[in-house]
Amino acid sequence: MKKHVITASLLLSAMTSFGAGYQLNLQGLRQVAMGGSGAAWPWDASTIFYNPGGLARLKGVQIYGSTMFLMPSTAFGNRDNSGVTSANEQSASQTFTPFNLYIGGRLNEDSRLALGLGIYTPFGAGLKWDNNWLGKYIVQSIDLKTVFFQPTVSYRANEWLSVGAGFVFGAGSVDFRQALPVHGAQGADIDDGQAHLHGTATGVGFNVGAQMKLRENFQVGLTYRSQVNMDVSAGTADFRVPTSLRDSFPNTKFSSRLPLPGVATIGFGWRLNDITLQMDFNYTGWNSFDTLRFDFAQTTTSLNNVRSPRKYRNTFTPRFGICYKISNTVALMGGAAYDPTPVTNGFVSPDLPDADRVVLSCGITVKPLPGLTIMAAFEGVNSVKRQGNYDHAGFGGVYKTTAAAPGIGLYYSF
Amino acid sequence: MKKLYTIGVAAILFASCKPSADVTTPSTAGEAVFTNYLAVGCSYSAGYADKSLTVSGQLNSYPQRLFEQFETIEDGFGANGPFIQPLVTGDNGYPEPKLVLGTTTYCDGTISLAPVATTLPLDSNGSWRYINPVNNAQINNISIPRIRVADYLVSGYAGLNKYAQRFYYNPAKRPLDELYSRVYNLGPTFFTVWLGVTDVLGYAVAGGQGDGTGNALPVTLNIYNSNDITPTSVFTSAYDSILKAVSSTSAKGALINIPDVSALPYFNTVPANGLRIDRQSYADSLQALYSTLTFDKVFLQGDNYYIIKDNDDQTRQAVPGELILMTVPRDSIKCAGWGSTKPIPKEYVLTTDELQNIRNTIKSFNAYIEQECKLRKLAYVDINSFMKTLSSGMAYNGITYSTEYISGGAFSLDGIHLNARGNALVANHIIKAINAFYKSTIPQTDANKYPGIKFP
Repeated sequence: MKKHVITASLLLSAMTSFGAGYQLNLQGLRQVAMGGSGAAWPWDASTIFYNPGGLARLKGVQIYGSTMFLMPSTAFGNRDNSGVTSANEQSASQTFTPFNLYIGGRLNEDSRLALGLGIYTPFGAGLKWDNNWLGKYIVQSIDLKTVFFQPTVSYRANEWLSVGAGFVFGAGSVDFRQALPVHGAQGADIDDGQAHLHGTATGVGFNVGAQMKLRENFQVGLTYRSQVNMDVSAGTADFRVPTSLRDSFPNTKFSSRLPLPGVATIGFGWRLNDITLQMDFNYTGWNSFDTLRFDFAQTTTSLNNVRSPRKYRNTFTPRFGICYKISNTVALMGGAAYDPTPVTNGFVSPDLPDADRVVLSCGITVKPLPGLTIMAAFEGVNSVKRQGNYDHAGFGGVYKTTAAAPGIGLYYSF
Repeated sequence: MKKLYTIGVAAILFASCKPSADVTTPSTAGEAVFTNYLAVGCSYSAGYADKSLTVSGQLNSYPQRLFEQFETIEDGFGANGPFIQPLVTGDNGYPEPKLVLGTTTYCDGTISLAPVATTLPLDSNGSWRYINPVNNAQINNISIPRIRVADYLVSGYAGLNKYAQRFYYNPAKRPLDELYSRVYNLGPTFFTVWLGVTDVLGYAVAGGQGDGTGNALPVTLNIYNSNDITPTSVFTSAYDSILKAVSSTSAKGALINIPDVSALPYFNTVPANGLRIDRQSYADSLQALYSTLTFDKVFLQGDNYYIIKDNDDQTRQAVPGELILMTVPRDSIKCAGWGSTKPIPKEYVLTTDELQNIRNTIKSFNAYIEQECKLRKLAYVDINSFMKTLSSGMAYNGITYSTEYISGGAFSLDGIHLNARGNALVANHIIKAINAFYKSTIPQTDANKYPGIKFP
């Protein structure tokens, strides 16, 4: 006989996660200011990220630090099966601070060999909705952080070719909250339970690149940043549920894997007197994110392992930037990019709704003292208004995301 | 530095520019007028849940949800409050205690969560007679738990049903007369009618008594036996009279059809093949026990169909598709040999024939309701198809609702009536049909906002 109890089905089947757009592309202020392009030209020590091959072409040794203040905001309108849209919701205001630290350069002035270390935040995401919002059983908040450590070696083979490679060690954390549709007999009517998953993750990968100075004023860069699988081996899964359901939802450990996709880039740069134009094309291997899995150390009839389909598709992103050197101390930059979404229809989830984005950016550098450069950049991201469904959870609506990201930084060359 | 200044201004402009989904569809009434809404129905419309009537059940009824959504209409044809329901006075139940989840110890020592009657004092005080402080004529939801279409023609019906007695003007008359005078007094511009479920449900809940046509059991004083199905001819003529009454002020409205009641959790929580045999010797002994009976019997190690008593008083083994009622005493199965050495009594079993009666009747009742909709130009709400969707699992805003008992999330502890969330889902389904028929754009409600089942 079926037990008279009461397996409150945990709707973890609907549990979702990270979403798209968790690639940040904010690893150097000059490059940010130029639409995120920078594979062809070794602007400064941030080339450790943008093209390790460029490091052997830098003059001197640089110490570089920058941070950005990323302020994303998403609006949502629920669309019901009559085609009527209502219930506008707004994600909470949050500011994220991705940062970059680079140190590196040639061993000495005559050396063809350069060494460097980059510490940067290539992926990350965060979105916080009201705890009682319409999609609370899918996600209440999500926070994903990564820091990559990349020791790098670069070698200038000859006048026109330099190459470089870096080993990537990634560390990160994930924190995810979702309401559970189980209510206690005490307390408010709509006092939901909650699942809270958090854990730390690590992964390894590499970043290789080549830079070719084909003519005095024309350069080409090729880079490949490998996929990094961030593995969570012993995350903590806590469930806040009524006492009588404690056995059905034991607090336990979980493991998971979040693939951070590989990116192949070809970049071109032209320099005409005081003006530099550059163009990058990224091909991002998002299709490695097929299914999000959570495996619990202890499962019950109510608590099953989670398999949440994602089915991301690969994307192709063009980026364009221009730099105008006004004087020996001041330069201005501007740029644009079109970043198509990896999220396909039917998989648009409110944990990180994603849509095709238009990126516009600008920036300035000033050299107040010999060796010291101060940089400022601003990036504005505007997503196309997207009507999307997450069929897995029976959830749909219209999303619109914008983000503003000012940043400052400086570097010193020895 | 001027350039820096420019960047700063740009940054502020960008940052202050919050995104807006800005996609809200204006809520409009289309071709109907929702200013004065009247709900007519049975338990399903009264907010009856957890086997009783409580004030929170009433305030979470689907008519209440519909009214709230009609209130969002912006073009002047929306609902004007208040929406008056004949509220009982408390949350413990009237006239019976409501069910809550509690701990039950079975004869074999197992302990589990199960629905039990609340031990808190009933809400009889003040609930036995509803007096609207404003005006009794203003009641917008006149649904009566347990009322059948057939009962509308019974004089003095309110004397038999405490829920009708609570607020009827003239308990001596027929519910149909009551309906006429209420429609006359209220002057509704829009109505919903969800009647007929009880005409079939009583038979199902009784494990199928009578012959499934309403004619085998005695009919006294015009009252058909509620353990059988209302005869189709009685149903159609009474239903037609109800529609004449409710549309006597030329209001527009929607008719809600009858869901397949055999899909309710009440009939699907105890599986018919729940007879567990762990040892071959046990299988052999059952085989020997029933050796003189002629029915096909299979006793194997694993899950086996229970031994039941069918409608012809024959002892036999249940066959696939037959259903056991949720109310079958667990202790009798666990410790008294019910379903194995003794048959499960017929009042706890729906046999293939009985299920056929239920499904055929619902089919013909629904065909009639749909025909009335066409004739009277009313919106037809196919709640039967909604129930089918629900039985196979319906993903909705992160929850998969289903007809599973308790875990399905939509039904109350009695396994028959909807809980607050189920009522909201029904309201949404009705709105969808209204929008399609009257070309209105009324938004649906977020069903997940309302309370679900409460666990100790």
